[in-house]
Amino acid sequence: MEKQFNLETGKIGENFAKEYLKKKGYNIIEQNYRSKFAEIDLVAKDKKELVFVEVRTKRGEMFGTPEETLNKRKLRKLWLNARGYTSRIKWSGPYRIDAVCIVLKTDNTLERLNHYASIV
Amino acid sequence: MLIKVTSVANSGLETMKVDVEVNLASRGLPGFDIVGLPDKAVDESRERVRAAISSSKIDFPQKKITVNLAPADIPKEGSFYDLPIATGILAGQTGCKVPDDSLFFGELSLDGSLRHTKGALLLALFAREAGFKNIFVPKDSANEAAIIRGVKVYPVENLSQLILHLLDRECIIPAIYKEKKEDLRGEPVEFDMKEILGQEQAKRAMEIAAAGGHNILMVGSPGTGKTMLARALPGILPPLNEKESLEVTKIHSAAGNIPPGGALITIRQFRSPHHTTSQVGLIGGGTRPHPGEISLAHRGVLFLDEFNEFPRSVLEALRQPLEDGYLTIARSRERVKYPARFMLVASANPCPCGYLNHPKKACICSFRTIKKYQKRVSGPIMDRIDLHVDVPPVDVNDLSENQKASEFLETSEAIRNRVIQAWQIQKERFKQEPIYVNAEMKNSHIKKYCPLKKEVEQLLQQAGVKFQLSARSYLKMIKIARTIADLEKAPDVDIPHMAEALQYRPKVYGETV
Repeated sequence: MEKQFNLETGKIGENFAKEYLKKKGYNIIEQNYRSKFAEIDLVAKDKKELVFVEVRTKRGEMFGTPEETLNKRKLRKLWLNARGYTSRIKWSGPYRIDAVCIVLKTDNTLERLNHYASIV
Repeated sequence: MLIKVTSVANSGLETMKVDVEVNLASRGLPGFDIVGLPDKAVDESRERVRAAISSSKIDFPQKKITVNLAPADIPKEGSFYDLPIATGILAGQTGCKVPDDSLFFGELSLDGSLRHTKGALLLALFAREAGFKNIFVPKDSANEAAIIRGVKVYPVENLSQLILHLLDRECIIPAIYKEKKEDLRGEPVEFDMKEILGQEQAKRAMEIAAAGGHNILMVGSPGTGKTMLARALPGILPPLNEKESLEVTKIHSAAGNIPPGGALITIRQFRSPHHTTSQVGLIGGGTRPHPGEISLAHRGVLFLDEFNEFPRSVLEALRQPLEDGYLTIARSRERVKYPARFMLVASANPCPCGYLNHPKKACICSFRTIKKYQKRVSGPIMDRIDLHVDVPPVDVNDLSENQKASEFLETSEAIRNRVIQAWQIQKERFKQEPIYVNAEMKNSHIKKYCPLKKEVEQLLQQAGVKFQLSARSYLKMIKIARTIADLEKAPDVDIPHMAEALQYRPKVYGETV
């Protein structure tokens, strides 16, 4: 039950992030990209730059902020995944890794959304 | 956005400029890092700054903050970087301007107020030298900094007040120096010379020591009043002059001994470290060299009770500062020079049981143990002490009689007046020289200022042969004789002066006189 609930929260958050980035003029290439090793929430294109976006969603900030969940290990993983993806699609242009941190209210509406560019 | 705030770094008593560069980057995860060789106290400043800013009802910027303390290769120490770092962050957040002719200095409390921080005087001195017009210091340290004229000292109470000042919405009024008469640093004078019964010769020796800034060693049985005499000494010393005051206050400011709201130290320090004090504690040192007791006793008195009980290595380390009046502590990272021109007052027992040469009590020590005990203080140290005084036991019968007579004994006040006069004569004599008192004279000074009459020189020569005085003791005798003459306001050293001086020559205890 519990797991299912978290997955749903994540989905909602990802959709919010997607809308936000679209509004900013990003071109969304992939959502929930999965390979044997990697899992990337969003892949988008900001002008000529490839952007990998990690979306962190939380319901309320009672038990910590979404920013806090991005630890060293996760940041390293994001970097490795991004590298894997660029080599797979033979991308030689610039790329970066962003984070979108979202806090939801209890009725699944947005409380805040922060976009951090180039976090690794 | 890059903001530059100016602060300082201290190394010993020297100060240098440090640029605190605060970068607020909008790219990257929010974070807060300090680079530029911060020590633990500087690194922990992150947490203090974060809490202090939130307590001041200002949002802490959700940005990647990098603080660089430039030059980046010099180790930074101390808690006073809190204020420049916080100012830099707040300037980025509120858009206020940081004046570049100002220095920022102070430790933050978690509630956003500023705490008393050590070294405010050094900061003010540096600001004046380097041409900075304003300094921002904690309110409690403002009086200490305001000693230095020509620099505007802004007493900052808390962060919000500072920001309003920098935004030109409110004004912090610069501090004006308030003199504090009751600021008794060090130990208060416990005894008056009047209270000490008998021991007229020892008192006289104390007076000479005080008048010429001479080192003195008192040897006597337990309970004869050695410690009392030493503790009464501060009462007969003249106050510090302006230049000396500043030197002493500087050292104590660097050591963090000045209380909140403290002012210039005008009273001679009296330091009496216990004989278990370590070498570093006495001399100064550590990986970041700190001043030791001898530097804290600068221009004052260093009283070493139970002189023979101090470890030999600790006493031997006193040799160089006793001669030079300063000492250089060299460590791999830095070299620091601390002044240490102090009057050494030492007291010791003649033997382990304490009753050698006692008229009534028998000494139970063997010859060997006495020799061993006396050997704990080396010849070179003994040679550097000007006045050697015996403090004989006081007869109990005399004591009760003297008790009645004590009203007629001289007070410290009266002795002090004579001492002050002697200091004035010496000041006049050495007005061309960088010294104040006879004890500081070098050989060239002795030649120049203490020409001896023929008969006086003859007496000294005879004594030198008879008592086997070393070359250094020989010269010390001249200095002491000069001080005795000064006490009597005599223009030249005469035979009685020299004869008295010779009584205070280095002696071997147990020697029959």
